[in-house]
Amino acid sequence: MATPVEIQRQMLPMLGSPNQGARFYNPDLPETEPFVPGHRTCAGCGPSIQYRITSKASGDNTILVGPTGCMYVANSSYLCTPYNVPWAHTQIGSAGSFTAGVAAAYEAMIRKGKWKGPYPNIICEAGDGSASDIGLASISGALYRDHDCLIICYDNEQYANTGIQASSRTPYGGMTTFSPPGPMVPEAKKLFPKDLARMMAAGHPHCYVATASVGYPIDLMNKVRKGLNHKGAAYMMVYTPCQKGFVYETPRSIDLGRLVVECGLYPIWEWDPHTREYDYSFRPDTMRPVADYLKLQGRFGHLHAEHIATLQQFANQQWRMMNIEVPEALVRAADPSAHVNMATAEAAAAIAHTV
Amino acid sequence: MATVAPAKKKNVRINGCVAAAQAAKYADVDVITAYPIRPYTATMMALAQMVANGELDAEYIVADSEHSQLSIAHGASSSGARVFTGSSGVGVQFAYELYSPISGSRMPVQMMIADRTLDPPGDFGSEHTDALSTRDMGWLMGWSCDAQEAFDNHLMAYRIGEDPRVLLPQMVCQDGFFVSHITTDCELPDSGQVKEFLPPYKHPYPLDPRHPVSHGPQIMPEQGPPLQLERARAMEGAVPVIEDVHDEFARIFGRRYDPWVEEFMTDGADVVFFMQGGHAVTARHAIRHMRQRGANVGLVRLRTIRPYPTDRVMQSLSKFKVVGVVETNMGLGSVSSGGSLYAEACAALYESDTRPLVLSFMAGMGGEAIVLKEFYWMTQKMLDAQKRGAIEKRTHWVGFEE
Repeated sequence: MATPVEIQRQMLPMLGSPNQGARFYNPDLPETEPFVPGHRTCAGCGPSIQYRITSKASGDNTILVGPTGCMYVANSSYLCTPYNVPWAHTQIGSAGSFTAGVAAAYEAMIRKGKWKGPYPNIICEAGDGSASDIGLASISGALYRDHDCLIICYDNEQYANTGIQASSRTPYGGMTTFSPPGPMVPEAKKLFPKDLARMMAAGHPHCYVATASVGYPIDLMNKVRKGLNHKGAAYMMVYTPCQKGFVYETPRSIDLGRLVVECGLYPIWEWDPHTREYDYSFRPDTMRPVADYLKLQGRFGHLHAEHIATLQQFANQQWRMMNIEVPEALVRAADPSAHVNMATAEAAAAIAHTV
Repeated sequence: MATVAPAKKKNVRINGCVAAAQAAKYADVDVITAYPIRPYTATMMALAQMVANGELDAEYIVADSEHSQLSIAHGASSSGARVFTGSSGVGVQFAYELYSPISGSRMPVQMMIADRTLDPPGDFGSEHTDALSTRDMGWLMGWSCDAQEAFDNHLMAYRIGEDPRVLLPQMVCQDGFFVSHITTDCELPDSGQVKEFLPPYKHPYPLDPRHPVSHGPQIMPEQGPPLQLERARAMEGAVPVIEDVHDEFARIFGRRYDPWVEEFMTDGADVVFFMQGGHAVTARHAIRHMRQRGANVGLVRLRTIRPYPTDRVMQSLSKFKVVGVVETNMGLGSVSSGGSLYAEACAALYESDTRPLVLSFMAGMGGEAIVLKEFYWMTQKMLDAQKRGAIEKRTHWVGFEE
């Protein structure tokens, strides 16, 4: 056996103003566009915004893996591809395993002198159906074995590509075609979402794990870079709203990405694999009642006052899990008497019946 | 890491599992992915030890399932690495989703199969149903009948599958236990011979950031037929490559195999067994014995089932009066209501002017050995059919009839 070649790994620099940069020009933003226009995603598509931001952060020395989902079906069209970097489709249950194969191949080929160059940034973009359900074991396997790669769950809280079906990430009260509301099930989805990112952090504590939202693009880019710089496996769960499934006005994708964090339904944190602690230092500008977020989306248009209160209780629990004190107004909002039924709420009525 | 001197040619006694592992080592594979299931596990145990000893530099990945195993193999092969994986029985089935995507993306992944009966019930015995059920997924496929042939087939399969004219994955199959766990003499080559025979793996379009390509994008229905035709052509195009590689193998290693069928004592034979894999070794003994007693019986052993050598099978089997297909696989409700090999034999014979009578023997089911007296019994059934000029029935379950 020949002497092994040492593997060169690139380190990506951090960008400024992590929380607040979204609405301002940032001179550090890379010009490269590995994910270019020409795909067939919907206007305002959260996952494709995330895809662009993520690939900008990782740069040209990147290999993307796309398990079946929206970002496969709507992005890649044979004889026309939006990817300026290598990209491969894999099966919906193969997210972690195919990615592990790519990482293992580069480890072996570089070490054995069969491929020359710095180790590539290997990123898997799995939808929440792949990441929380059918591909969960394959991703857990890749994280456990600590392949040098970043696995992202672009979380649009449903199987969107197949026509809006409930996944383990669909929130309580979320209407989908597999969880429709009706007289017997007025709240639609009865189950609370799988706490996927914490599950990954708890089960694979040697990995860098973070949550992010398209509402905070600089924070998202920096977390992507931290995940890639981390030697070994990294995992991210990113809130990426789906206007088709959530039923909202198309230009509001980024607004929703902020509101979901501000109302406490999408906790933003990092897991530090070195200190083995959560970092809850990310704070949104403001804290809001969940109704501010829910009322913009047709998928919640059927909710009754008690369901909104239940979601507020859930949000308050999320704040407390991050050691954040819940303001008196939000405690009061956890009581059904603080709400009216969505269908009668003026703000929701216009959108609620468009599904 | 310690540098290991190039291996010199040597004779060893190893079983089929270890022979497969040795072949992977000689092929200098880059990525190995394992998941335990008997009986193929012994191959992965041997490879794990080789990696631990520094005899082989490869990424050894213990996958979380066979589905993941094949996905890892797919990803690694797509990136330009030479890949080795394997499975048995229900493990082969658990990975089923990946067989078409891997051949469709034209990745020459190699998979070792040591057959095992499918559930129910949990049975360690060998039946060919596990791999045979995947036979139309675009993988090159054939059975070995002993450790030496397994070693040789693994090396040849890499050379064939990685040929730019082919680029198809390979299932190199052997009977669980009868081949995988029986120790036989095996010659391991000089590593220089392997270097001459097997060039490094070089896929034309790997996932390489310097030359971006997209693998497996979504297509519209009208784009499907040409892609399927390409895959069908690759399978057909493999035929001359398989023949060339067998010639090249004989030149370098001195062992010559007919790539398609082995004919054993078929000169002057009226009736023949048509079968795959390790039970052919017993069949050869039985045939020698029966020939001494005046029965004109022979053996046609299928060595490659995908691509299926239709013309060779027709040409070979048309010479005889009766063909007895020894199935060792389940084809429930199939053409013969027996195994699936019967239909493959009969379809090849359809265009022949001199069609033999064809019988299907359900033997070796559940991993039972097919013993000599069962071969005698099957021979008698074939001779009876020859005498009668007609078959009594299509399928005989051996051991359940007088």
